[in-house]
Amino acid sequence: MPEGSILTDDFLRELMNVGEVDILVGVPTFNDGKTVGQVVQAVRAGLLKYFPRQRTVIINVDGGSRDGTQEIVRAASISDLRHVSNVNTLRTLHSISTRYEGGTSPGSALHTVFAAADLLRAGNCAIVSPDSTSLEPEWIERLLRPVVRDNVDLVTPIYRRHKFDGLLVSNLVYPMTRALYCKRVREPHPSEFAFSGRLAAHFLEQDLWEQEACQMGAETCLTLSAINGGFRLAQSFLGSRARPEQAPSDLIRALRQTVGVLFWSLEANVPSCSAATESEAVPTIGAEHEVTLEPLRINRKRLHQMFVHGVAELEPILRSILSEGTLAELRQIATVPEDDFRYSDELWVRSVYEFAASYHKAVISRDHIVQALAPLYRGKAYTFLGQNRDASANQVEANVEQLCLTFERAKPYLLEMWNGRK
Amino acid sequence: MATPHASLKLQESLWYKDAVIYQVHVRTFYDSNGDGIGDFRGLAQKLDYLQELGINAIWLMPFFPSPLRDDGYDIADYFSVHPSYGNLEDFKLFLDAAHQRGIRVIIEMVLNHTSDQHPWFQESRSSRTNPKRDWYVWSETDDRYRDTRIIFVDTEMSNWAWDPISKEYYWHRFFSHQPDLNYDNPVVREQMWGVMKFWLEMGVDGFRLDAVPYLLEREGTNCENLPETHDVLKEIRARLDKEYPGRVLLAEANQWPADLRPYFGNGDEFHMAFHFPLMPRMFMGLKLEDRKPITEILQQTPAIPENCQWSLFLRNHDELTLEMVTDMERDYMYDEYAKDKSMRINLGIRRRLAPLLDNDRRRIELMNGMLMSMPGTPIIYYGDEIGMGDNVNLGDRNGVRTPMQWDGGWNGGFSAADPESLYSPLMLNPVYGFQALNVQSQKRFDHSLLSWMKRIIRVRKSAPVFGRGTIEFLYPANHRVLAYVRQLGKETVLVVNNLSSAAQAVELDLKRFKGNILIEMFGKNIFPRIGDLPYLLTMGPYQFYWFRLRKI
Repeated sequence: MPEGSILTDDFLRELMNVGEVDILVGVPTFNDGKTVGQVVQAVRAGLLKYFPRQRTVIINVDGGSRDGTQEIVRAASISDLRHVSNVNTLRTLHSISTRYEGGTSPGSALHTVFAAADLLRAGNCAIVSPDSTSLEPEWIERLLRPVVRDNVDLVTPIYRRHKFDGLLVSNLVYPMTRALYCKRVREPHPSEFAFSGRLAAHFLEQDLWEQEACQMGAETCLTLSAINGGFRLAQSFLGSRARPEQAPSDLIRALRQTVGVLFWSLEANVPSCSAATESEAVPTIGAEHEVTLEPLRINRKRLHQMFVHGVAELEPILRSILSEGTLAELRQIATVPEDDFRYSDELWVRSVYEFAASYHKAVISRDHIVQALAPLYRGKAYTFLGQNRDASANQVEANVEQLCLTFERAKPYLLEMWNGRK
Repeated sequence: MATPHASLKLQESLWYKDAVIYQVHVRTFYDSNGDGIGDFRGLAQKLDYLQELGINAIWLMPFFPSPLRDDGYDIADYFSVHPSYGNLEDFKLFLDAAHQRGIRVIIEMVLNHTSDQHPWFQESRSSRTNPKRDWYVWSETDDRYRDTRIIFVDTEMSNWAWDPISKEYYWHRFFSHQPDLNYDNPVVREQMWGVMKFWLEMGVDGFRLDAVPYLLEREGTNCENLPETHDVLKEIRARLDKEYPGRVLLAEANQWPADLRPYFGNGDEFHMAFHFPLMPRMFMGLKLEDRKPITEILQQTPAIPENCQWSLFLRNHDELTLEMVTDMERDYMYDEYAKDKSMRINLGIRRRLAPLLDNDRRRIELMNGMLMSMPGTPIIYYGDEIGMGDNVNLGDRNGVRTPMQWDGGWNGGFSAADPESLYSPLMLNPVYGFQALNVQSQKRFDHSLLSWMKRIIRVRKSAPVFGRGTIEFLYPANHRVLAYVRQLGKETVLVVNNLSSAAQAVELDLKRFKGNILIEMFGKNIFPRIGDLPYLLTMGPYQFYWFRLRKI
């Protein structure tokens, strides 16, 4: 790797051969050999079907896979050397792969994609997750079309989810982003998204890549950067997103990628957040689909236990983060029997905002602050599951909306805490 | 026996492989008698120009007596010259003058059909019992050969037309005023050979045979490329070789390469055939800035016998035909090259080379560079050597058949007639009009397109490898670069084309030519010796290189 560059000479040579493109699709991977082939085939089919005239490239940035991931991606190329039977294309479709430095950090992966997009002058870009086995060619169209046709700068997805899927998003990331930045982006930390070359260049220019928060949650950073930069946003209904088999549910990692970034972003954006008041809807494209309601087995009891144990075990830490009143209320609800347990929206929002203010003041290690939110989130998730057990799709949506409004109403409280008068 | 070509230097039987052909309609080139229509005496007067251009063969479009309802492809008399163009004596004078300059002459021959004004058809339709009745294809119903496509989809609803005189339908693959001859009738075959013999005796060097896939009809087929059709063509070739060796047959068969291949037979059918599918893909590759359409069609092009040759062209008198492309490709071509729907006709685009390429000199040169360096014999359409424009306001394909622009004077130097009496209006617009764009003005400058065309023809003719050599594609990773090696014996030429509007770097795998130096064929400059590493070239937008490889 040449000093001062994130691109290897070999990758640069490949980019040189690809040349300027209209559409770039990035696929960050790390040992995704089992699923990436299916994903890349769907991406390719989408590009050929919906953008046959555009100059396109699929770029895989790999964190050091040892399962043949890179070779699988490269095999998706269509050229005069690698003709694919039954595939009728106007032009060459490159599918190239490179390794990036920085382990499996999503920030490094995206940094490489953004750098490639910049060099190739890609006006329209998308990122897809290598484990999105339910990704269909139509997703590529739904993500990219608003960028290509309507000059939208960032298209985030709306998935068809089970009502209990994505609880962190519906109970924390979405409502808090919406309250702070006044844009109703349902997936601020998207797995699949599309963006314009303008936004890519803007994001690339910001000196964020070395920041730990951006390394962990570059997707959230990009969303917030787009909002704060006044870029045009849109959301696109995609469809059901299959969860990868045996995907580990790493809550701490998820919190770092989302809430950690949100907290971190406030450092620079509190002034603008203060000025903004009511949230605005983001244009949403495609056929809306309701949440699915089929029965789902979730170990609620365990969530409750983890909340109770967390509040007890982390009390010294929580004391340094939370106000006395909030902590007292948490201790109180931790004593309530499981069947009667309820973590109210108001208490939850107050807890989260106090965490954000403490993050700002760095009362303890910021990473510890983010980690300490985990048991509280579990308590909120337990409440949400119980509250919506028999709820219809509309009721679930109404409850999420209520929570969002609570986050919005309580925003002055955050600002008050932030400024240290409390 | 054939008239000996005493004055011709090119005696070798495979002369057509080394030829650079110029396609012209006598009507369009030069009017010697001031009647507003080009003629053979006028064409003969301009042979010096063609000799100077460097071409060594002319393909003449139909010049026979005709009602001219299809630009002469509706022949009413095969044994004469349309009076507007002169007479047989004028033709003979022209032919001899061409031969004296080392220029061979290929004439158009429409075998498939005649005009409905031809005496043969007039007799045939006169009654069902007329002896010439079965010289054409008649039917009581119009439901025979239903699997046959209609070619002129814009004007014809059926391949059958009702004849009110004899009260039967007659078969026509093209316009309804062009009844198809019946090649199942041996008398017709003999008669048509007699026609060809007449012109061969006159001294013509070959025929461009029009619409050859359609000579015969068979129920249950699409009536194209039938084995029986090939039998007829082979019979013609055998008689040609026996009685007139050295004369050539050029097939007009707008077909896919695999379907075209049988027209070469085992070297015993056509000498040459147009490579129709390649042409639109050259335009497509240029617009896409991607070599894939070009290399793919050439990969699908079967090998042909040693004594056969492809004929390559960029534009001709017809529309830029899009029959041999997929629907997706056709849509793309229309959108990119014929946004204005008036530019479209049938399944094609009625435009000339320069307007198609936005009058971009770099692209015009690149396309000509590819034309001249790919395996085949190049054909230049008259006027394209100076970048003439087209007039889409004229009907049918007449917009690409306007008078040759010789100078900026009266009627562009084409004719002394009143402008109103010209067979076609001249181009007058500020870009392509004769006052801005003509031979005389381009002759003045070494950097004009005309001067450049002379140079590239000269360089092409200096290297027999272009006409006779093998081709091998290099497939560099940069897909915007089309690179190939042409080889003939010890002669090796490397051709590298940048299809992109931007500068490109390309690495070529030339290991097997290690030790050779490259000599650029236009400037004769030396480029670095080929070593172990990939050979790096940087190329400007739409630039191309021809390198001769030399081991010194």
